[in-house]
Amino acid sequence: MNKAKQVYVTYIRSTREKVWDAITNPEVTRQYWGHNNVSEWKPGATWEHRRVSNSSVDIAGKVIETSPPKRLVISWANPANLHDADKVSRVTFDLEDMVDLVRLTVTHDELEPDSDMLRGINRGWPLVLSSLKSLLETGKPIDIMNLKSSPDAAKL
Amino acid sequence: MARLTTESTVYVTYIATTPEKCWEAVTTSAFTKLYFFGRSIESDWRIGGDIVYRTPDGTVDVQGKILECDPPHYVRFTWHVEMIPELSHLPDSIVSYRIERAGENVVRFTMTEEHPAPLDERLLEGGRWGWPLILSGLKSVLETGKMFKADPPGAPPAMQEYFKELRK
Repeated sequence: MNKAKQVYVTYIRSTREKVWDAITNPEVTRQYWGHNNVSEWKPGATWEHRRVSNSSVDIAGKVIETSPPKRLVISWANPANLHDADKVSRVTFDLEDMVDLVRLTVTHDELEPDSDMLRGINRGWPLVLSSLKSLLETGKPIDIMNLKSSPDAAKL
Repeated sequence: MARLTTESTVYVTYIATTPEKCWEAVTTSAFTKLYFFGRSIESDWRIGGDIVYRTPDGTVDVQGKILECDPPHYVRFTWHVEMIPELSHLPDSIVSYRIERAGENVVRFTMTEEHPAPLDERLLEGGRWGWPLILSGLKSVLETGKMFKADPPGAPPAMQEYFKELRK
């Protein structure tokens, strides 16, 4: 099967350490993502994306590769589909320094073509990355869980 | 063998601002000079009218015609690169900016680059390289009032390869 891949690039006036922390520290993810990202962040460890409002696990997977504060690779699936290899996708966060900026590239690949997950993440990542950038640059995230016309965002 | 494509590229970002303020940031030079690699913008924003992006020394970088315009929500125009000789022979692309209210003081900004005439796929890399930096700058300027320091990215490797083939 031909898998789909999406790439999202955003530039944030911050440091790699702060961006890394914002991806892996639930105290920060809950502020801009509406979820706690919970894991030991060691290769092979599980990670869970727990909704702040009711603790439901909306996304889960394993840590595939980690080299703070440069690169994090995780698998990504609805918890019900964790054992269905076709439905487990992969997310890579690459953080690069650029003058007083960080270039954050999120590559989401191994996605099932024409799937709800593909449609969901294609709405979700721009929201999440916009909110992350706002939080790090202004101290105030975007209230992504309460936006108009973003029903899929609640899950991501 | 070069692969040709008519694929559109789409970028979405959410900005804590109003549609009116976002429209102003897209259509006035006081803003574009901050986040669009120093470019000024000129247009009367009427259908059929010209639109020009100009570098600080006055050189026309991009020229086009307004196809649709609905302030403060939508503008769509042809995009012809004048400044880079290797690109000035290319057929027009079409660029649009869509500004939608997504919540209280939040807009969803969608930039689309359409390629109605088939283009060498490697040329799309130029946009993939530059647009995220421009849109990140637009968001920073609107949310913080300041632009970050960033040099315009040079041509990405795929585009350099395209230029090299042209020169042969």
